[in-house]
Amino acid sequence: MSQRLTTSPFLHNNSSVQKLMLQIQLAALPALLTHIYFFGLGITIQWTLAVLTLLVVETTMLKLRNRPVMPYLSDLSGLITVTGIVFCIPPESPWWLVVSAVTFALIFGKHLYGGLGYNPFNPAMLGYAFVLISFPAEISHWTLPSTLSGHTLSFIDSFHLIFYGHIPSLSLDQITGATPLDAIKTGLTMGKSVTDSLQSHLFYLDALPYGWTELNIAFLVGGLYLLSRNYIRWQYPVGFLLALGGMSAIFHAIDPNTYASASVNLFSGGVMLAAFFIITDPVTSSTTPKGRFIFAFGIGVLVFIIRNWGAFPDGIAFAILLMNLCVPLIDQYTKPRVMGYK
Amino acid sequence: MLDAILIFLGLALLFGLLLGYAAIRFKVEGNPLTDIINKELPQTQCGQCGFPGCKPYAEALANGESEVNLCVPGGHEVMIKISEITHREPVEMADSTPAPTERIVAIIDEDVCIGCVHCIKACPVDAIVGATKLMHTVITDECTGCDLCAPVCPVDCIDMIPIAQTLQTWGWKEPITQVEQTSATSQDNSSSSDKPS
Amino acid sequence: MKTQLIKWLTKIYPIAKRALKKFHGGVFPSYYKELSSRHTTLQTSLPKELILPLNQHIGAEDLPLVAMGDKVKKYQLIAAADLKNLHAPIHAPASGTITAIEYRQLPHTSGLTGLCIVITTDEQQVEQTNPLNFPAKKGDACQPNTPQALKDIVYQAGIVGMGGAGFPTFAKIPNVKGKIQTLIINGAECEPFITCDDVLMQQHASEVLSGAQIIAKALACPSIIAGIEDNKPLAIKAMKQAAHKFENIQIQPLLTIYPMGGEKQLIKELLNTEIPAGTHAIDSGILMMNVSTLRAIHQAINLGRPLISRLITVSGLGLDKPFNSEVLLGTPFEQLVEQAQPKSALNYPLIQGGPMMGFEVPNNQVPVIKTTNCILANPPQTTETTMPCIRCGECMDACPINLLPQQLYWYSRSHEFEKVEKLNLFDCIECGCCSFVCPSHIPLVQYYRFAKSEIKTAKIEQQKANLAQKRHENKLAREARLKAEKDARIKAKKEAIKQKALLKAANTDEDASAPTKIKKSPAVAAAEKAAAMRKKKLTQTSQYPIDTQTQTQTEEMSKKPALSAREKAIAAAKKRSTQTKSNVENSAEKRKRKAQTASNSPSVIETAEQKAIRRAAELAKNMKKKALAEKNRVEKQTNNAPEDHQLTTSQNTGTGTQDKSVIEKPIANKRAVAMQAAKERAAAMKAKKLAEALQTKNEKIE
Repeated sequence: MSQRLTTSPFLHNNSSVQKLMLQIQLAALPALLTHIYFFGLGITIQWTLAVLTLLVVETTMLKLRNRPVMPYLSDLSGLITVTGIVFCIPPESPWWLVVSAVTFALIFGKHLYGGLGYNPFNPAMLGYAFVLISFPAEISHWTLPSTLSGHTLSFIDSFHLIFYGHIPSLSLDQITGATPLDAIKTGLTMGKSVTDSLQSHLFYLDALPYGWTELNIAFLVGGLYLLSRNYIRWQYPVGFLLALGGMSAIFHAIDPNTYASASVNLFSGGVMLAAFFIITDPVTSSTTPKGRFIFAFGIGVLVFIIRNWGAFPDGIAFAILLMNLCVPLIDQYTKPRVMGYK
Repeated sequence: MLDAILIFLGLALLFGLLLGYAAIRFKVEGNPLTDIINKELPQTQCGQCGFPGCKPYAEALANGESEVNLCVPGGHEVMIKISEITHREPVEMADSTPAPTERIVAIIDEDVCIGCVHCIKACPVDAIVGATKLMHTVITDECTGCDLCAPVCPVDCIDMIPIAQTLQTWGWKEPITQVEQTSATSQDNSSSSDKPS
Repeated sequence: MKTQLIKWLTKIYPIAKRALKKFHGGVFPSYYKELSSRHTTLQTSLPKELILPLNQHIGAEDLPLVAMGDKVKKYQLIAAADLKNLHAPIHAPASGTITAIEYRQLPHTSGLTGLCIVITTDEQQVEQTNPLNFPAKKGDACQPNTPQALKDIVYQAGIVGMGGAGFPTFAKIPNVKGKIQTLIINGAECEPFITCDDVLMQQHASEVLSGAQIIAKALACPSIIAGIEDNKPLAIKAMKQAAHKFENIQIQPLLTIYPMGGEKQLIKELLNTEIPAGTHAIDSGILMMNVSTLRAIHQAINLGRPLISRLITVSGLGLDKPFNSEVLLGTPFEQLVEQAQPKSALNYPLIQGGPMMGFEVPNNQVPVIKTTNCILANPPQTTETTMPCIRCGECMDACPINLLPQQLYWYSRSHEFEKVEKLNLFDCIECGCCSFVCPSHIPLVQYYRFAKSEIKTAKIEQQKANLAQKRHENKLAREARLKAEKDARIKAKKEAIKQKALLKAANTDEDASAPTKIKKSPAVAAAEKAAAMRKKKLTQTSQYPIDTQTQTQTEEMSKKPALSAREKAIAAAKKRSTQTKSNVENSAEKRKRKAQTASNSPSVIETAEQKAIRRAAELAKNMKKKALAEKNRVEKQTNNAPEDHQLTTSQNTGTGTQDKSVIEKPIANKRAVAMQAAKERAAAMKAKKLAEALQTKNEKIE
């Protein structure tokens, strides 16, 4: 697949979609290792399942759409999508969950819109939102960090859980439980204040969610690498974290019993994953510098709103999808000033 | 009950008046469609549509009295535009050959010309100068290439020649990229398979 | 402070380097400048043949002032255009003989040919004395003190913008003294590979500054700033040294970023002002000159030498010994590249200009012209597969004009040119930054060039259509007016006749009042006469059987001219059909020949060629058939016509009127035949054209 360059510029900075996606994938490695450390090897099985699904679905869809398979499959954009999904769903969830999420994400989120570059919604978040709404029970059982549950799940255990739904020696309740955000939400509905909820064993020092903090820091490290190499733009994480952190700090100051602190908000759930890996997806986000910031800021605000006043414990997927809808509008009104024009 | 009816009656009256006012205030003079269509026509004034010039054809189109596929120099593109403007079904061009992409102009072989003024009379845009019994010549810049002068010449001294490309008229071609090429062809395939054969 | 902070930031966030300059965007390509700058400047030998295209500048093509076989001296003026048109004259770079004035391939990406003067150089190298017609007294006398004087000399020396644009320099210089506040010397040279300006500033800094001083003096311009990228430390040093003696010259090192050398970018960087869109730098009181242009001005004014040579870079990854050299205009590219010892055979197209904005030349024999700053021999690169746009916005971050390249691309691709124009496409400088950074490898710049061409063509066509419409309407109006005038005239005449008749009648009435017999008015008389005629006719018709003799006589009489007219028509038609036939045969033969030549041409293009030939052959066959059918039809008509005629005449009961219709029929036939013949002619011509096009194509291939 090569043709001769016949028009200027004859130079290129040697970037490519493939390299870009590969770098993003590599930047997610520390997070993957942290995830394995805290939540067991379940994620590797999920990831393998997801990649297999990806290969099958992408090939089928490209064939159906009459597109060349290799160039589109090797652009690795699908890999980023499945990585996003795998980090979002519980590591010991049944196998069909990840398969349906990936299938839905790729077919309805990407290929039906015309493939890479044409999808208005973030495919990963679309797939995740699909299973979140369709299978709420399966999504809510998150594996407890091994140090909390006292059980270290082996690879075989995870395999059993994923494919058969149970482990012969253990009951499910012993190893899975609510996520920290879940705990706060249910605590609030049961009349417990946030400070009370934070006393639970799910948190360090009454402020940071156990296990999740480390995971988020790992994402942050990978994200900063991407940022420094200019693979992602600073406006996304800055806008998003500023909005979420700022809003939670303000509301926490007003009513610490109802609103969790900024640190809880920033280091729980998939905040850093979203900030550096999900909302930075260029296809579905705004392209102008100002627009990127507004887009990310909007997501931050929406996440805070959904977390505190919505029905779901975490609202990143919905926030991102909602802001995806606003992208054309944002782009329209944030056109930069062209040199020489007032 | 009565209140509701009265309110709605009042609203109906109000909006009716508003509409009536708008109809008078923003009345459009003449048939704007003619001008819109005329703008799309190539203005070669060649008469191949059967009308004496582009504007009469535009008028006929605007009044719905003529087919949309009669403009030969405009070709398929103009036909599509016309059908879009007039909201009518596009009709395939009678002559399936695409409109010539290169511009042509008439040129008079001045040695052969006998000065009969036939071509001068035929030229719709007055692009031929000359007088009776004197040699004629074509103003190349103003010739539309309509080919109306060539048939009337009794000595066949008028040729239609393409204008050579110069650095001024040369333009960049559209880039063709491989992946898009395949996607374009596949789009063609899918669209052709959609059509009931 | 701010720069310190950014410099620190660049260590962890390299792209922050962009914030070190004042304009938006920009890219950091690999420069490869050391390739050509480490070799000293070479002296190139005098080429045997110099090719001088007549259009080396923006504006009208020059007209040759010499003829074939003329002997020219070095520096002699050989081409110029009408002063009304924007142009720059051309001088002979060396003495010799004009051996050709012909169309040759131009160093232009289109591959079009243009008129070129070809000089075969001689050994003596006779120089023309005082080529710029300076007044006899040398020295200060020819130092221009007014803008007009400067413009005159700059025009006569044929100087154009040598940075690459090729805009005639004299047209750039304002007419009024004091309009220019700042003269900017453009020594940025931001394109990779090119080092000719670098070398020029190192070796001829004083000449560059002297050229700048001349302009500053003539235009009363108070300050001169030279902008040089900081990857040329030697040039900066040399320029600073040379600038010591002048107070008004400031040498400003610049950040090395592409495209620092763009006019708008450099002005923004040096003066922090933006040139408002749609205006020129001159309107803002800024004049920018490339270092080469300034040196040319110095040479013209201080040495009285027109522009006949320039410093160029011959570089590229495919060369062993890239170099810089002072090269005569008209030197073929290949000769220079051979001197740089290519690593492999030159079987790939050379690039004129830098790798970011240059273009491939159609063949390697094209000459150096006034705007050639670099010849690049980079072995062909392959592009990676173009992927769909992922809206990453890299292009937007890189755009030095702050456009929205990705949206421009989107609309250019879908041919929505109105929207492209609204997004300020025409402010695009085609610097190539967007394509350079595009991870999807989309040829963005090419899309913009395409859109620009399309919009320009559409505008020209719209203008033409408007003109045609206006002229058509004028013609209709004129015809209507003439008809109205004619009608009015006839009406007036009728009126006059009536009046006259009435008057006469009145007069006769008065006259005839004495004699009792009333004289009829002429009209009444005529009416009566007509009535009498009718009566007579009626009686004639009733006498028809008896009057056959006279009837046949009239028939005979009317038949004769009718027949002859018909015969003429038939003869003409026959002639034409044979003509077309021979035409067709000619073109068929031509095509056959074409086919033969095509079979000789390389096999790669053979399939396409064969297809075209087959199509052409089919066309010819069809035409032959058509011509034959036409001939048959004509013949049939000839046979039928007399019968027709007899039929009508036998049925004929009236007199001349009916006969007339019979005469008209062959005339109508004649018209139809003529029409048909015209159509045939058009078809034949089309075929001929096709054949010719094929031939030229073949020739090209050969």
